[in-house]
Amino acid sequence: MVDNTNHEPMVEMFVFETSQLMDELEETLINSEKESGFTSTIDEIFRIMHTVKGSAAMMMYDNISSLAHSIEDLFFYLREEQPDNVDASTVTDMVLDGVDFIKNEVSKIQNSIESDDSADELIEKINEFLKSLKEQNLNGNTKETSKTKTEDKQQYYIISKGASENTGNYRYEAHLKFTDGCEMENIRAFSVIHDLKEIGDVLYFYPENVIEDEKASKIIRNEGFKIEFQTDLNLEEVRDRLNHTLFLDKLEVYIKNDDFIEQFQNRETLKEKNEIILEDSEVEEKTPSENQDIVDKKELLDKTTKKSPVSKNITSGKQSVISVNIAKLDSLMDLVGELVISVAMVTQNPELKGLPLDNFYKAARQLNKITNELQDVVMSIRMVPLAATFHKMNRIVRDMSKKLNKSVELKIIGEETEVDKNIIERISDPLIHLIRNSIDHGIEEIEEREKKGKDPIGKLVLEAKNAGGDVWIIIKDDGRGLDKDKILSKARENGLIEKAEEELTDKEIYSFIFKPGFSTKENISEFSGRGVGMDIVMKNIETVGGTAYVDSKLDEGTTISIKFPLTLAIIDGITVKVGDSRYTIPTISIKESFKVKNEAIVEDENGNEMIMVRGEAYPILRLHKYYKINTEITDINDGIVVMVENDFRTYCIFADALLGEQQVVVKALPKYIESAKGIAGCTLLGDGNISLILDISKLMN
Amino acid sequence: MKRVLVADDAAFMRTSLRIMLERNGYEIVGEAENGIVAFDKYKEVSPDIVTMDITMPICDGIEAVRKIKEYDKNAKIIIISSMGQESFVREAVLAGAKGFIVKPFKEENVIEAIKKL
Amino acid sequence: MSKLLEKDILEYEEDTQKGKYLTFAIANEIYGIEIKYVTEIIGIQKITEIPEVPDYVKGIINLRGKIIPVIDVRLRFKKEPLEYNDRTCIVVVEIRDISLGLIVDSVSEVVSISETDIVLPPDSSTGFNNRYIKGIGKIGDEVKLLIDCDKLINDEETEMLVNIS
Repeated sequence: MVDNTNHEPMVEMFVFETSQLMDELEETLINSEKESGFTSTIDEIFRIMHTVKGSAAMMMYDNISSLAHSIEDLFFYLREEQPDNVDASTVTDMVLDGVDFIKNEVSKIQNSIESDDSADELIEKINEFLKSLKEQNLNGNTKETSKTKTEDKQQYYIISKGASENTGNYRYEAHLKFTDGCEMENIRAFSVIHDLKEIGDVLYFYPENVIEDEKASKIIRNEGFKIEFQTDLNLEEVRDRLNHTLFLDKLEVYIKNDDFIEQFQNRETLKEKNEIILEDSEVEEKTPSENQDIVDKKELLDKTTKKSPVSKNITSGKQSVISVNIAKLDSLMDLVGELVISVAMVTQNPELKGLPLDNFYKAARQLNKITNELQDVVMSIRMVPLAATFHKMNRIVRDMSKKLNKSVELKIIGEETEVDKNIIERISDPLIHLIRNSIDHGIEEIEEREKKGKDPIGKLVLEAKNAGGDVWIIIKDDGRGLDKDKILSKARENGLIEKAEEELTDKEIYSFIFKPGFSTKENISEFSGRGVGMDIVMKNIETVGGTAYVDSKLDEGTTISIKFPLTLAIIDGITVKVGDSRYTIPTISIKESFKVKNEAIVEDENGNEMIMVRGEAYPILRLHKYYKINTEITDINDGIVVMVENDFRTYCIFADALLGEQQVVVKALPKYIESAKGIAGCTLLGDGNISLILDISKLMN
Repeated sequence: MKRVLVADDAAFMRTSLRIMLERNGYEIVGEAENGIVAFDKYKEVSPDIVTMDITMPICDGIEAVRKIKEYDKNAKIIIISSMGQESFVREAVLAGAKGFIVKPFKEENVIEAIKKL
Repeated sequence: MSKLLEKDILEYEEDTQKGKYLTFAIANEIYGIEIKYVTEIIGIQKITEIPEVPDYVKGIINLRGKIIPVIDVRLRFKKEPLEYNDRTCIVVVEIRDISLGLIVDSVSEVVSISETDIVLPPDSSTGFNNRYIKGIGKIGDEVKLLIDCDKLINDEETEMLVNIS
């Protein structure tokens, strides 16, 4: 096993690479299954399992290694023999089970939990399958037998110019013993023979059948390897050369005299019948399996050039991407954030107030410009295409369709759209849940669809696109849609309705499904779990600053749209003062700001304050009242009004005064404090004060 | 004799070898994920030693050994193989590899082997 | 370094901290908190209020760029609040990645208290009602109320309270 003391980077690399390989494998398998055959992907699957076997063995994860080994054996057989009667679906299921096992164990390893599950049952299953496959093909397949025959027939010829010619001045006999556990002792012996041929002639060695005889290794392990040869080199030189043999434990070299040479010649004639000695190095014999390798590689190359951008960049043979430790990127992000704050602290320092500093401000603008660019680049580094996440859904769709006896086709659009790495990690689970929901409750069973006159194959579209400063992810199914009345009555039951029912728009009704405690499922299925699932989905989405919307049409389908802000961490904002507190409003949400006269204020029927602007009435949110802040400025004439808009409505915020516009780094409120309604985070202002960042969407909805 | 080129298509193996070798005072002057890259890198960095995995895509280890030996007959190459790859290892030896290590291996084995080159 | 030796050293380091408490005063009582949780002690500074939090959560402070929430320990332990003066300190503690500033009347010294000198706190039937005390340590004639840092930071009751508000 590798050295104990510095395990961490190797575990990390093992987890990273194996996870990546499992994702690749999963996708390849599902695609192969669709084209009902593995022909183009056998080699890839074989190689992935071979790699995992090796890596896992190095890390002593024997359960993973053994499982990978059995799958490797299966695919080796499939590759070499190409039997006709393979049931692709069965093989896919078995290997997918294997993938699941490995993924599960790797996940445990990643979380420092011991990987101790046994894969024995699955290994047994695979071995049995392979065995029966071999038995079935024993009679029909001439390919197999001919292959083994050619291997038997391979003859090896002595390269030496003939021991009897007595070339070389000295004769030696060497006894070698290799270190325990070095493996393939027969080939090591072969290596010695090959090496000695370069300095003279090899006369005899024991055991003789180093290449073909499996027992040779065992004999060498127990008794050592003996070799007699002739050369011009002296004893010192010979010892020196032989000492360079890897994994050499013991070496003894004896000088042979003429008597012995005579004895040897006699022995030679006796052994004429058993003439299997060495392969001539000039004869380049490519074994049939290797030819196969080359053909498969060509196919593999063709396939890989068409693969999605996420897969390894094999084609050019050179790497244009590198993998970076995520912790380093996080550090970089934090530092850029600190930099923005520091720059603000310098350029907006209160000590500079009122001083004539034209050149200074010119330089400050340049500094800001560069900092902005730096920030943009760093943000873009953290951006990752959604492709990998989206492709994971293929497996989910396949498994669920199979289990629920529905036919569903997944269409992925816009997978090259990029989002911040943080978001990718957070939305993976919600997406899975939403897709499961669509298939479980949305898409109808085949008969039902046919009765309705729909295509028996259900369509599920997973789309990602950029719009303004946001990324949209849309999940659309053509299933049975949401039942508005059912939702309304359930919402009523659970006391979730706050507005008058007639005023609720369809979209608002549908969005009840995201509220905690809501569920119209009579049977809680294995897949979608309880109704609480949906509100956890919402929570995950909100944690990364996203919002979800639902739209639906009965019998036609349901569309769930999720919006994420592109740049999480640094935004432009206008800071306002309320009493001693500071609040920052994202500039992107601000329409305008102005001072107000009493005359413009009206009240609606519920006593809520409204303000008239150019003929339209907008609700007012008094921050000092809303958050119960002490301030002297309570008269609307004395303060300032900022008009903001979110996706649903436009409203006005009343504060004491405007402090200024700047770039702010969004810092999350500490975990200990659960955010108040409408606070998205906080930031450090240039003067060292902390300002709370308002979430315009949530403040008034 | 301390500059090493590591060739293996598995990033994990490259990292493992890198860690082992660097811990023992060797310098990794290049990494390659297939035989073609290995050959290119060899020409580029002229390492003292090469560790070569056998099974790599596009161009395997044995072919790479041939190419490198053709370019530099004194190249010192150690093959890294799995169990059951005897015929491949044999070919590699014939192609000019100095020796081989079998996976899974321990750090001591690798270091011992490399020292001998 | 062999694995065994490393482990020994780590344990030793933990051992040398075990039993060391930072003591501070709140309303005539002396409290102690394990030094291993204390990351720094600072004087009282400007606190930014946060809306809709329990009364003992005073707000957040800017500690060299890091945002740390602070609580008034007097209020947390349901005692009368006191106006802050120049002796008032904030003891910053950190446990399992969560940082918290504790506003205390004044900070005393670091004392060593061995396990044998610590007894369990009396139960609530005697009127003792502080769930955050995990033990009572005796040093000479004096007693120090030892705080359960974990509970203080991670109390479910806290979470519930915050959620309700």
